[in-house]
Order: sequence, then C-alpha cells, then structure tokens
Amino acid sequence: MSPSSRPPSSTGGTGGTGGSAARPSGLIPHDAHLRCDVLVIGSGAGGATTAAELAEAGFDVLVVEEGPWVDQDAVVPFSLEQMDRQYRSGGVTVALGMPSIAYTEGRCAGGGTEVNSGLYFRPPLDVVEQWRHDFRIDGLDLDELGAIADEVERTIHVTTVPGSPTPASEILRRGAAALGWRHSEIPRWMRYPPGGDAVTGRRQSMTRTYLPRAFAAGARMLVDTRVDRLTTMGSVVNADVTYGDGTGRTPAGLIAARHVFVCGGAIQTPALLQRSGMRRHIGATLAVHPTVKLTAAFDDEINVPDDVPVHQVKEFAPDLSFGGSASHAGLVALALSDEWGTFAAAIEQWRRMSIYYAAITSEGRGRVVALPGLRDPLVTYHLTGRDRHLLRSGLARLALLMLESGANEVYPSFRGAPVVRNRRDLATMQHRFRASRAGVMTVHLCSTVPLGEHGGRCGADSFGQVGGTERIFVNDASLLPTAPGVNPQATVMAFAIRNARHFADTHRPGSTAPRSTT
Amino acid sequence: MSDATDAIEAIDTTGTAARRDPPDVTVLTGAAGWLGRAMMHRLLADGRTRVHVLVHGDDDRPSVPQGDAIAVEVGDVGDAAVVERLIAGASAHGGTVDVIHTAGVIHPKRVADFFHTNAQGTANVVDAALAHGVRRLVHVSSNSPFGTNPHLTDVFRQDEPYRPYYGYGRSKMEAELSVFAAVRDRGLDAVVVRPPWFYGPFQPPRQTTFFRMVRRGKFPIIGGGQQRRSMVYVDNLVDGILAAEATPGATGKGYWIADARPYTVVEIVDTVGRALADEGFEVRGGGTKMPAIVGRVAETADALIQRVGRYQQQLHVLGEMDKTIACDISASRTELGYEPRVELYEGMRRSIRWCVERGLEL
Repeated sequence: MSPSSRPPSSTGGTGGTGGSAARPSGLIPHDAHLRCDVLVIGSGAGGATTAAELAEAGFDVLVVEEGPWVDQDAVVPFSLEQMDRQYRSGGVTVALGMPSIAYTEGRCAGGGTEVNSGLYFRPPLDVVEQWRHDFRIDGLDLDELGAIADEVERTIHVTTVPGSPTPASEILRRGAAALGWRHSEIPRWMRYPPGGDAVTGRRQSMTRTYLPRAFAAGARMLVDTRVDRLTTMGSVVNADVTYGDGTGRTPAGLIAARHVFVCGGAIQTPALLQRSGMRRHIGATLAVHPTVKLTAAFDDEINVPDDVPVHQVKEFAPDLSFGGSASHAGLVALALSDEWGTFAAAIEQWRRMSIYYAAITSEGRGRVVALPGLRDPLVTYHLTGRDRHLLRSGLARLALLMLESGANEVYPSFRGAPVVRNRRDLATMQHRFRASRAGVMTVHLCSTVPLGEHGGRCGADSFGQVGGTERIFVNDASLLPTAPGVNPQATVMAFAIRNARHFADTHRPGSTAPRSTT
Repeated sequence: MSDATDAIEAIDTTGTAARRDPPDVTVLTGAAGWLGRAMMHRLLADGRTRVHVLVHGDDDRPSVPQGDAIAVEVGDVGDAAVVERLIAGASAHGGTVDVIHTAGVIHPKRVADFFHTNAQGTANVVDAALAHGVRRLVHVSSNSPFGTNPHLTDVFRQDEPYRPYYGYGRSKMEAELSVFAAVRDRGLDAVVVRPPWFYGPFQPPRQTTFFRMVRRGKFPIIGGGQQRRSMVYVDNLVDGILAAEATPGATGKGYWIADARPYTVVEIVDTVGRALADEGFEVRGGGTKMPAIVGRVAETADALIQRVGRYQQQLHVLGEMDKTIACDISASRTELGYEPRVELYEGMRRSIRWCVERGLEL
C-alpha cells in the first residue's frame, strides 16, 4: 500500500478509504439528500459506540465524520504524516490565554481513538460519584457503568505489553522506583501478534471495533462530511452538510433525521450547537489536563520513534501525573524549540532522547465560542495560580525523576529554560519557570456540555439530551462534568453506551420515519 | 513485570536492622541555639558520649552546663580555623567521633550572613570532618531549600527538587549540596536531616511573641487558614537526629523529621489557644483573618528587601504564612526507625510550661 495515498473522494462523491484495505462496508457515497432515524455526528469514542448500540437496537443509523477514513496500516503511528492526515489542522490548534495552550483533536474516522496513546483507564468511579452528586445526574448507576466498562474492555481488548517495555518506558519505571514513587504499567487496548514485542501492537480503535459492529447492524457512514448547522422542523432535524471531495469544491447536502447525536468532541460539539442556536451552558466550561514537557538525554539510544511509553507515575495523582510522549525526531525538535537558541545542538543526538510530560488537573476553565463566518471556533483557556505552581512543580519533579533514572541532560520545554544536569540546576529551572513561557499543551478536552439536572451548570440532561430540545443529544467527552484526572476515553465510551441504551429503551425505531424535507 | 509493588520493594529498609552505639565523642555545633541546647541536654542526660560543643560568643558560655564530659569551643562556624580546632580537639581525645551540625542563622541582619554561616559554615564542617576521619556527620538542614508545596494538599516526598525560599533557603541548599558532594566525591559518611518549623523548650525570645499573638487573637490567618504546616516538637527532632546518626544505611540521604502529620494553620492556632487556656492563661481565641493578598504582598516585599541584601523577619514570616509546607516522614519511619512521640497539643503545653518556669511573659 502507499502510505501517501490520499483518501479518494471523487466529485461523484464516495467517501475515501485511504490505503488499500478493503473498503468498509458501511461507507456510502456523498448525496445531496439523505435521511435516517438517528444521525450520529462524529465517529470517535462517543460517536462509534453510539452508532453501534443504536444500530444493534434496530435504529436506522447514519454516521457522518468530518475527516477521512484512514486505514491504520496506512500510516506510521505517532508520525508527522499521521498528524497531517488524522488530526485537525495538522495536529496543533491553540486555545488563547496566558499562556496559550495547544491542543490536538483527531479528525478522521474513529476520531481520537485512532491517534492517541492507546492507554486504558477504567472510569474512576469516585470521580463519577462526585459528578453524580455535584451535577445531580439522575439514573446514574455505578454498577451499571462498571459492567459497561467490562464490556468495553473485552471489545477493545485491554492488555499489557508482551515481553519487556520499550527503553523509553523503562526509564520512567526505573526513575520512579529509585525515588519510591508509585508507578505502574498502564494496559492498552491493543492486540499483539504471537511472539510480538512491545511495539508490534495494533490498536483496537473505533475503525476496528465499534464502527464495523455498527456497519454489521446496518449503519451507514459518510466521511469527509462536515455538519454546518442543525435546524429542527417539527419532528425532523435537518443537518446542513458540506462534502469535502479533495478537489477544493464543497458541494452541500441535507440530511433529515428524527434524532441527532452530536459526538464531535468537546470543541466541535459545542461549536455546532452554538451555530445551531443552542447556547445555554454550552461551551462555557471547557476542562482540560494541561501538560508541560521535557526532553531527556541518556547514554544509550533509547528513542522509540513509533510508540509511546506504557508506564505512568501516579505518586502525586490525581493532581499530577507523569508519562511519556511520542518522540520521533520531528517531535524532539519541536520539544526543544521553546529554547531553540541554547537547545538546538542537542537535536543531533535525538536517538538518545525521549520526551516526557507532566499533566495536572486544572482548576482553570476554558470557553468555546463559535464565531459567525469562521470555520473554527475561538477557544480560550485560563490557568489559575495553583495550576501554574503545579505545572512548575510537576516539571521539576519529572526532571528529578529523569536525573535519578540516569539522564545526562534534561531540556525543559519553556523559553529561558536551563539545561538541567544536576540538582542545583533544578533550583535554577524552577526559579526561571513561568507557565506563560512554557509550551503548555493538552489532550483530554472535556466538559463543554455537562450532563445532569443542575440547572445552573448543565447543558444537557442526565442522559445527554440538550436543554430546550427534544431531538438533539450530545454523547461524547463534552458531557463529562469535569476532566476526570485520567485519560477519559473509557469514561466517554461507558457514558455513551449508557446513554445510547437509555435512548433505545425510551424510543422506538422507525415508527415515525421522517420524510425528506425537500 | 513492573507494577506499583516495585516502588515499595525499592525502599531501603536495611537501616532499621542495626543501630550503632553512640561515639566516644560527639561534636555539636550551634550548641547555644534552640535545637543545639535541646540536643546538648539530651546527650548529657544520656551520658553515653563525651560532648564537644561550639558556641558563637563568650556570652553563650553560660548556656553550656559545666562538667567532665563536656568541652566548649567558642567561635564562628564560618571561620574554618575555628571548626578545624573544634574537630581536631575532639579527635585528639581518641576513639570514634560523630558531628551533629546544628549551627545556622535563620533571621540575620543581612542576607550575606546566611551564606557565611549556613553555607560556608557547613563547608568548613565537611572539610574538618574529612580531615579527622569523623565516623558520621549529621547535617541539620531545613524545609527552606524546597520552598513551599504547589497546592494546599500536596506533601513533599523524601526526595524533592530544590526550590530555595529566598536567601535562607539558598544558603541551606548550598549547605546540603556541599554535604552530598563530599559523600559522593570524597568518601564522607553524612546524613541530612530536614526539620520544618519547630517548637518546644529552649525556644528563643522571639517565640514568646507567637504565644502572645495567639493569646490576643492576633495571629495572622491568611486566606482561610486551610494551608498546612508540618511542625516538629524539638524533642522529636532530637530523636530523629540520633536515629539518623545511628543508622548505618542512611549515608548520603536526606530525611524529613517532623511530627506525625501536617497541621492546618487554623488547627495550629486553635490547639495553641487550647494549650494556653489549659495552662491557666486567658485566651481571646481565634486568629486575625487576613485576605490572601496580604501574604502575597509580604512575600513580594520580602523578596525586594532581600534583593538589596537586607532581611526583615516579620515580613519573611508573614510572606510564608499563606503557603502549605508539608512533608511526608514515612521514609524516616521505615529507614531510620524514627517515631514522633509528642504531638502538637502536648508539645505546646510543655513549651508553655517551660516558658512559665523561666519567668518568660506570654
């Protein structure tokens, strides 16, 4: 196969399938007029599970995805090419604030599950219980959620790596053990071939699990399709869509649905709702896990270009967690670029380097605002004083761990950073650190449409139905009332499945199929 | 495979297996200070070692008891010749020598004094200890090389990155670094002990101010008082220092020596008020609530003043009052066998009685 092949999407309007893998059965051609029982917008952890559950319950499901279908074997994991093809805006979008925070969003079939680290964290039930209480979530049964998590774990095949972890992962384990800090190997949703080692895993992302399940139950899917606006007319919700066809032309279409599930992630979901006139508690409470990073250099060639470490350090959790990042040469250069003037020469030895991050739970809040005439929403985020201290302390503790693990040099990613070679340098580093000079970035975007019955805080009801609407639901990370302190994918999936089942229990498929509005 | 149990297994517990006997001679610097006096009295009471003490000036002599088992050297720890004479004298006595280095300055007139006494003084002790084959040096450090915790419920683990709190913290960091460098590069056997804010008998006059402020309800409680402080009763600290001195496997490590748990500022003020009341004092109760901005303003002023080489005690203390400074003593427990015997209420009552017995006005 040709890794550079673009998803073919002719003017005739077929969704692209990128790579030469068999064309997924559910993909359908672009069409000016379509209709369905349930329209699912977005195909990531929330959308794919929603589609599978509802299709299996007998609903006529149509999934639309803004990005292309990219077969996993067609791209090198964690590569620049992957960033270009499967992320929004080539991998980096920015939330304005002091500092501005870069964030990434998957934009492809399967969404973030195609490109993230693949590390699995069960929904943290203590946090979920807190949400139930604080946001007054009705009908939230922790046992039910746990049982759903068990199902998810079987479906996406949660497992530890066979054999030894990669050298970059071992560095985290060794440093934490030397300091007596709590750490563990985080299992992944991967399948490993017989006899395979740590880097041979194939992620069990949505394009390999829930989307095929949805297709088998009759769901259809459009890729390269952006939903611009939703309009409710009586018992029908109309979605205005724009088809991307790779030629620069953007033909329009209209999809009529009885119900819509918006699952575009915590940035795109509130943006679409706002463009469609829904604003109450929509987009005003973005929560994230801000991270700062460093690059550590060792004696040996420890760089693993196409995988990420599976160990994490949870000694200071949930406030502070440490882990490893993708570290191919391009990303090492990017990590050194905050202080390029003094760090540039180090790039020569990138094979001996790896990138690590410190992530915090933040008390700050962000905002997503759809602006008229602009394609992408304006995103802002503000850290609190406590957040800034925690970022500084986290970066310093991570640097200490690297020294204890045998690092010769540590390059913290902030403007004005010193090269850290010993413990005195750690003091200098902390003295110079300013969050406003750091390359703060984030994943795990959440909480822009919190679910629950708390009238002053929630944008959706206890099962995701958007306030003031009858046919529009949200079912993705936007619903999580706060950022949960761990990778939220499994929590998103568990809530999405719970909500989809509730919908299936309370609605009948196809009984009043909407008519085409044209 | 690795998992969280690795971290537990990795903790070195060899230290608790065997404790060494006291040395023939114990050298004690800073013997006229708060901790130094508590230490000196414990060593003399135990009677298992000769004690050679260093005090700063002749006016400190009266605080040193007289006896056959004690010798006194007078001079500045920042003067290498003085320290050399002190340790050479102990060594000449024959047998094993340990050094307990408590000398330090915490509230000087000028920032430069920090470095002369705390950093240079410690380097002098390290050099003399190496020159005379000292068995073990216990260096008494502080929380100040580590600054303050990043948020209210954070706790410093045994090993933390340095973030010195202004001049005092930097000088104490330099002192620690010179000790660790000597262990690594020159074969010194040394342990670092880190006490946070301490309290108890032998307190200097400035501490009576603390009791008076609490009695009159004037102790500053900044920003709600939920910030936490690790504290250590001075006899607990003496226990910890002796444990560090006697534990062979502790070489080259640093240990927090504190009471069993950190206290919130509100709890400290309430407990001290209760202890005062139970000792028969009239207590107006509560503290004086101040908005968080007061702490930030004081810290900024402290920083500016220290930048021009001056030091102002009240500003420094106030600037720290809105922060959490909390540490975890679990490594001291498992590796040194340290167990704090006294907690805040009992320790404060003893401290108040000590003041009353000496006719100090509270």
